Amino acid sequence: MTRRTARATAAALVGLLLAVSMTTLAGAAPAETGNAPGGVDKDGYSATRALTRVFTNPDGSTYEFPPNTVTVTADHTQDLRGRQRITIGWSGAQPSAGRASNPYGENGLQQEYPVVILQCRGTDDPALPVAEQLSPSTCWTASVAQRSQIARGDAEAAWVHDLDAPVEAKARLFGVAPFPGADLCPGADADPYFTHLTPYAAHNGTVFPACNAVQMPPEAAVGAAFPPNEVAAFTDLDGTGAVQFEIRSEVENESLGCSDQVACSIVVVPINGLSCDQPAEPATIADEACRRGGRFEPGSSNFANQGVDQAVSPVLWWSASNWKNRFSIPITMGLPPDTCDVLDPRPPTGFYGSELLAQAALQWSPSYCLDKKRFKFQLNQMSDDAGFSLMESGGGPAAVVSSEHKTEGADPVGYAPTAVTGFAVGYVIDRPDNAGEYGQLRLNARLIAKLLTQSYLGSDLGRGHPGIAGNPLAIMNDPEFIELNPGLSLITQEAGATVLSLSNSSDVMDQLTDYLAHDKTAMEWIDGKPDQWGMKVNPAYKKIKLPRPEWPLLDEFVPQTENVCRQENPAVYFTQLAAPVTTMRKIAEALLDAWPNVQTRCEFDQSTQLYKLGRIDRQSFGARFMLGLISLGDAQRYGLRAAALETAKGEYVAPSDGSLKAAVALSEQKKETGPFVLDQATVRREAGAYPGTMVVYTAALLRNLAQEDADKIAQFVEVSTTEGQEQGTGNGELPAGFVPILEQGPTKKLYQAAQDVAAAIKAQTPAPSEAPSPDGPATPTPVIPDVDPDDLGGAGTPTTDTPAAPTPTDEPTAKPTDKQTDKQPDKKADRSTDGATTPAVDAAPMPPTQAVSSGLAGGLLPGLLLLGLFGMAIASVLRLLARGGGRP
Amino acid sequence: MTATLPEEKRRLLPARLSRPARPARTARAAPPPAQGAPAVLSTCFAMVALICLWTAAQLLVLGGLAHERTQDLLYREFRTQLAGATAPIGPVVPVGDPVAVLTVPRLGLQEVVVEGTASGDTLAGPGHLRNTALPGQEGTSVLMGRAATYGGPFGDLAALSPGDRFTVVVAQGTVRFTVIGVRHAGDPLPAPREPGRARLTLVTAEGAGRLSALTPDTALFVDAETKKALAAPPGLPAVVPDSELTMATDPAAIPLLTLYLALLLALTLGVVAARQRWSAALVWVVAAPVALALSWQTTDVVMRLLPNLI
Repeated sequence: MTRRTARATAAALVGLLLAVSMTTLAGAAPAETGNAPGGVDKDGYSATRALTRVFTNPDGSTYEFPPNTVTVTADHTQDLRGRQRITIGWSGAQPSAGRASNPYGENGLQQEYPVVILQCRGTDDPALPVAEQLSPSTCWTASVAQRSQIARGDAEAAWVHDLDAPVEAKARLFGVAPFPGADLCPGADADPYFTHLTPYAAHNGTVFPACNAVQMPPEAAVGAAFPPNEVAAFTDLDGTGAVQFEIRSEVENESLGCSDQVACSIVVVPINGLSCDQPAEPATIADEACRRGGRFEPGSSNFANQGVDQAVSPVLWWSASNWKNRFSIPITMGLPPDTCDVLDPRPPTGFYGSELLAQAALQWSPSYCLDKKRFKFQLNQMSDDAGFSLMESGGGPAAVVSSEHKTEGADPVGYAPTAVTGFAVGYVIDRPDNAGEYGQLRLNARLIAKLLTQSYLGSDLGRGHPGIAGNPLAIMNDPEFIELNPGLSLITQEAGATVLSLSNSSDVMDQLTDYLAHDKTAMEWIDGKPDQWGMKVNPAYKKIKLPRPEWPLLDEFVPQTENVCRQENPAVYFTQLAAPVTTMRKIAEALLDAWPNVQTRCEFDQSTQLYKLGRIDRQSFGARFMLGLISLGDAQRYGLRAAALETAKGEYVAPSDGSLKAAVALSEQKKETGPFVLDQATVRREAGAYPGTMVVYTAALLRNLAQEDADKIAQFVEVSTTEGQEQGTGNGELPAGFVPILEQGPTKKLYQAAQDVAAAIKAQTPAPSEAPSPDGPATPTPVIPDVDPDDLGGAGTPTTDTPAAPTPTDEPTAKPTDKQTDKQPDKKADRSTDGATTPAVDAAPMPPTQAVSSGLAGGLLPGLLLLGLFGMAIASVLRLLARGGGRP
Repeated sequence: MTATLPEEKRRLLPARLSRPARPARTARAAPPPAQGAPAVLSTCFAMVALICLWTAAQLLVLGGLAHERTQDLLYREFRTQLAGATAPIGPVVPVGDPVAVLTVPRLGLQEVVVEGTASGDTLAGPGHLRNTALPGQEGTSVLMGRAATYGGPFGDLAALSPGDRFTVVVAQGTVRFTVIGVRHAGDPLPAPREPGRARLTLVTAEGAGRLSALTPDTALFVDAETKKALAAPPGLPAVVPDSELTMATDPAAIPLLTLYLALLLALTLGVVAARQRWSAALVWVVAAPVALALSWQTTDVVMRLLPNLI
């Protein structure tokens, strides 16, 4: 009883936190989880500290500036995963000045009073061994300039007068002992210039002196796979600020090496200005440099990347008086994605299908494979259709889908609701003039239709497109978009002409296009009626049939241009713009990096002397604009923003716990053990339901499934709908972006359906020998206990209307199946031994051969002969008649 | 002298003008052309008769010749490949390549099996269904052959009875099959194959009634099995195009047929045009082989539009 209450309280707390984080995502103020020092919650962080800058006067007395009482918060700190973004907020800090347009990595160095946030290995606990403590040398930076100051003159060596630094740290050369020679670090030791190195200690024990780009860890190479995650974030005039900080695991950054085994911290250093020691008489240039207070107005920008006062800049984050102001937020990493492969030698049981479940499967699978009583669960992502047919053909025990699929075989399929999540149109859009990210994107069905139908021109290259030459270049120039989302930059970008979407068949595309199909204005526009500003649909997509699970690339326009590169590489321009990808994970990462998949870069390659096409560059910070179709699980993990979609006229609904639940409440189950259907027409009438809500089902055969597999699937459904629905970040818990399926509330019907289907899968009851299958397809074949009618009828062909080869039973579908399940040399034999009640193979009466006949085949030869002889006879008779008539 | 020149010219002119009399002479030599509606109708029916009888003749007689010739070439090719150990073992073989030699002593049948079962492939000989193992390899293999036309290699298949033996030579060796049974529509399917065995199903068409040899309209199956199976390479395609299924037709031949019909039309127009200038004998000596070759090719293409088992 008490345990239940405790659990409920915990769930409520986590739910509250989730709600808070969702509002943060939607662009509200940074998450303020509380002001109490220390963690307010297991999965959050908050701490407050007063920071003071101290100058020592020439007479030895000290002058203290009024303190800044800074509170730093973080929304998630536990079980973090690679590339996950957490929100770090602060208040009470010194307002920043001279803001850079891009605060990441070395681009953020020319700023004053920023808040430096870094990821460091180790935790800030003096009780720990030194190797597990953090220090500036375990903090990751992607460039030398952020760690080391090489051969600086007096005016650029403020650190040598740091009040808090020990005497030896104020030497001309300091950082690595013994100081590296000219062979390693040429130019570092140049009298009378000052050099300070902050070496980098990699996880494997290597120490990089960090005096030039060569002496840096490999992950810091120029053009490394991942952009820098450390940031010198700016504080607004009211002293607050917030940033989404991206966590790197050992998968992304091996030198940093954060994992479930290696503790790490996020270090937040609000730059408050160096404290200075007793100056010389008269004060030297270096003394003055230490005392500088900034040359930019608070709140101003530094677009020109001009020099700043070093004493208040982020370059000296490591210096003792800055470092002592740090807030170190301990984080723990979740189990790596390959945990099950490493720790569990059993063969996995693969479930095939939807990517929507990916984030949940990541957290769920260790709770299966690490428990010997359970099986080894593995989600193999593929298109829903492919997963479903694999399941039906026996290639996989279960499919993971999110809508009803056509059953090809005779065996009924049960759909067990497993998770409630959905898709979103994710975006990353910067407001103009360095005003931060835009957080309230609103889209309607017609705007999405315009993007999908490739009706924006992209650039001047698209202006020659027949039929739509007058259309806007990109969505940011579309008056309809501007009306919905005022105040954004009007500068055209090619990425604004498209929404990065999926190239393969998916239930997500099906639902998205179903949403379009139920919008009257969108459909009228697709059918050819221009909108009120005169924009027309791309003729290649005019009157396209919706909904459809796969979005085709239909445009064929190749622009005529003087550009030599484009003449050498003629390509369909709009296809280059759209360039859809195969997984939503790739779209999420493209959004995370603000790197559109637009393939229009065309350049000359010196090494091969060829012109080639490629992906355009990452968008520059401050001018980002990209849209993409993502899953809600990915949106939460990577901290991506999701657009609000129009439902009823003028109502825009963003994905949230409430709007997902409202949509679940609207969905209906059409038949027992079938899926729930969310009618978009109903969604459009209700104001609060999110149209992208999708229920993910575990689909499995209810008959003729090996009992061993049936038990595993039933177990999976039972476990995932009970303990798998407890929200959290731990093993077996439900990650953010999913709405729990509970016994009460709007998800009650899903819970009930899941339990019913689990029981039906486990039972494998309907004995076909007693009653003919109720929903069998139109095969005349009677159902025989140990023969899968699927193999007799539509032998391997997806089309059912063609007469199929009525070849013997294990043929030809059984062949590929054998290979997929390779432990089963013969599916039929295997099934018959698994089924407890079925008779032996030899005793079973076999179904009759189907008649395959063709009237054309039978009638052809006699017909030809008859017609030929008849024609000859008539011709002869007529000729005789004609001749006879002509003689007299 | 100068006065005679115009005279000659005057004499020459009428001579030249009189030339058009020649066609009249040839017209006189020819039988008087028939006139009126009966003549047109007669010609139409004659054309219909010509087309039908030509097609029938090609299906039954000329096709047989073509089949024999192709078999000779395929046999030579496959023999060389076997000797050179380059014969295909699957799982994917280019369509039309020889893959096996089937010998049924009971029927006096020896045929080279080609890859693919579309109606165009079975013109050459029995075809192997591409998503099944090769004959003799572990698994079930399906061969489809024509019953009546183009040599009708599988025409006598119904005469086989359980226990009959036949051999198949493939790249991996010779396999002896024993017939399990002959299946007509409605007969029970054979018991599932036991692992480790190879099964071979021969498919053709059969007719019913007095003209059964000319009306093959229903599929007929002969199942055979061997205990000694050869190893089967993995990676068989899961499906084949609809045109390669039992009794399937291949509508993809229509564009090609259009081309051949256009060529025939062009030939006709050419002959008509040539008759204006040259004598009929000359024209027909030149045009007849072309017409024959074109008709032959056209009928081969038409065959692709018809079921693959007749």
